[in-house]
Amino acid sequence: MAVGQRVLESAGFRQEPGRLTRLRAWWEQEHVFGYGLITPALVLLVCLVAYPFGMAIYFSLSDYWVGSPGAFVGLNNYREILSNDVFRQTVQNSFVFTAIALGFKTVLGIWLALLLARNLRFKRLLRGAILLPWVIPTALSVLGWWWMFDSLYSVVNWTAIRLHLITAPGPNWLGQTAYAMTAVIVVNVWRGLPFFAITVLAGLVSIPREFYEAAEVDGASSWQRFWTVTLPLLKPVLAVVILFSTIFTFGDFNIVYVLTRGGPVNTTHLFATYAYQIGLQGGNLGQGAAISLFLFPMLFAVVFLQLRYIRKE
Amino acid sequence: MQTRRQFFRVTAGAGAGLALAQAPALAQKRELTFFSWNHFVPASDDELRKQAEAFGKANNCTVRVDTVAHLQMPAKIAAEAQSQSGHDMLRTASADTFLYENLLVTLDDLVDKLGKAAGGWYPFAAEMNQTKSGWKGVPWFWVSFPGTYNMAHYKKAGFEPPKTWDELLKQGKVLKKQGNPVGIPISHCSDAHSTYWSVAWSMGAKVLEPDGKTPGIKSEKTERVIEWYKELYRDAMEPEVLSWDDAGNNRFILSGKGSWIHNPISPYNSALANKQPIADDINHHNSPGGPAGQHSAPPILGLGIWKFSKNVELAKEFITYLFRKENFDAWIVASNAFNHPPLKHFADHPIWARNPKFAMLPKEAEFAHPRGWPAHPNDAVQRIDDNYIMADMVAKAVNGMPAKRAMEWAEEQVARAVKGQLKVS
Repeated sequence: MAVGQRVLESAGFRQEPGRLTRLRAWWEQEHVFGYGLITPALVLLVCLVAYPFGMAIYFSLSDYWVGSPGAFVGLNNYREILSNDVFRQTVQNSFVFTAIALGFKTVLGIWLALLLARNLRFKRLLRGAILLPWVIPTALSVLGWWWMFDSLYSVVNWTAIRLHLITAPGPNWLGQTAYAMTAVIVVNVWRGLPFFAITVLAGLVSIPREFYEAAEVDGASSWQRFWTVTLPLLKPVLAVVILFSTIFTFGDFNIVYVLTRGGPVNTTHLFATYAYQIGLQGGNLGQGAAISLFLFPMLFAVVFLQLRYIRKE
Repeated sequence: MQTRRQFFRVTAGAGAGLALAQAPALAQKRELTFFSWNHFVPASDDELRKQAEAFGKANNCTVRVDTVAHLQMPAKIAAEAQSQSGHDMLRTASADTFLYENLLVTLDDLVDKLGKAAGGWYPFAAEMNQTKSGWKGVPWFWVSFPGTYNMAHYKKAGFEPPKTWDELLKQGKVLKKQGNPVGIPISHCSDAHSTYWSVAWSMGAKVLEPDGKTPGIKSEKTERVIEWYKELYRDAMEPEVLSWDDAGNNRFILSGKGSWIHNPISPYNSALANKQPIADDINHHNSPGGPAGQHSAPPILGLGIWKFSKNVELAKEFITYLFRKENFDAWIVASNAFNHPPLKHFADHPIWARNPKFAMLPKEAEFAHPRGWPAHPNDAVQRIDDNYIMADMVAKAVNGMPAKRAMEWAEEQVARAVKGQLKVS
């Protein structure tokens, strides 16, 4: 066809391109086509992330109640929640919860990944099974935990009493401050561990065998091999996993909501559960939004520092 | 291999095909939608759906009743209010009518008509729905909140059911030693409020002054309430009460361990339904009193219609239909005496008198108040409950905080709840 056209053109017939052809030519220009491809993703981001985020900022700066728009009040909502000791308790809970849960997930995650990296029998089955807590809908699995921590029928206490580890009736898991926090952390670690383990495992298998062989030749013990070969090479993967996990853990809602609803005496409230209580149950959208936005600068700092670290690496 | 162009052609074609495959608009039949809770006695919801279907047939429409767990309702209702879309009707609880005053249809005529036809409304049920801008809900039913006790444990200890909260404390100390503690939740659940209001009123304490704006917690009377709770917690209960949800006390009495709880009759009804032998041992008595008399804070439920609904008239007809004597009676029977009518003439139903374990229940209406009393119900009261302020005050005290400091904390929290008065726009 191209040849035919050239023949026609040389003969003095110049065919005007059709509208469709012109449109196609326009569409196939590099910069138009490129933007065309990212537009759907951009629309989704704007509608589902940027717009709600903007609305949340607007709510947090206004006296907005459910179904009843309010006046602009500046930073009043923030001042109000900062002076509320339930909120201060929530901030403290969130840090304790995230720090301890993250610590356990990191150590246990690496440990689990090292075990999984060995040539075990049923390797594939095991790796699949490990992912179960991560795959099951949280609300469902946490209901199971809730039963296990039940004050009357706790299977945890029952087992520990039968094994003579504790004396009856055993701790009241969801009713006493320290135990309740322990319970929500345990469930968070249980749920988040597979994510850690599987991602770290992916990092582990990508470390070339030659490094280990070289270390062995140099007479390095298994501990030295881990410390000088495995860990440094895992760092980039670990940094990303810890980054994601920090965000997930800080923003956790399901586990606390199902297990304790923030109790006893607000000692397990996290940002999300407290924002839900104030904003949706209590109808005070302005303050609810302010509470959940407190999460933003903290996560922003974490993301900034970690990404900088990763880039340096 | 496919070129990019071919790929786009195929996908665009598929998209167009999908768009064309969409069915033409269905012949529209009116649909009334009603958002309610999962009733604690499921048979009650079955009867409600049966009546909804019958109403639909008679009026050439369909009535869809959607139900969710009671703790999920506030968030869902808030979402519907905020988005101005959702169901036509909703089940309101406590002070929802005040929280959404400007978004609910005024139902003065309907309430008047239904009230006149059946001997009038109980004042406490009426107050819960009567806002400054009119009736925003039709009182639907209330739930008596009696003392529930295990007769076998009481007989063993040689006790009669307690007439006052102080008597309960004395009995509880003995019952706990016997291995059968009593149980009142001190946790983030609605039963914890119901009991707190009742105990506080009976001892002469209050949360708000009658003006509905001034916190009224700090007083010797509240201090007495806190001391009572502390003693009860220490000597007559077990720490598990700090972790209970609304079903915690039900499980406690049904397990055979507990001797006394403050709760609607749902444990007894569920024991009957599941043919558990413990049903024979469970009995009820009127809520205990105190130096300031006998008072109860029963859950009071209503029926509201959103202003954004396009079926307001149909919803009113449906409510009228539910309030036909034969329908309301059938619904009371289905709930096995759990649903108490807010209309005086409906309360004569023989289901209570016939069963000695239920006979005293209608009497609860004589000393019931909406939460917040002596203040008129308002949205601040709703927020006090929603934020579990009273339960947390008690929990702080039983965990060692001095009563005075716990009161100060609660007073400050109540002041916050009051500050956020919802404006009627």
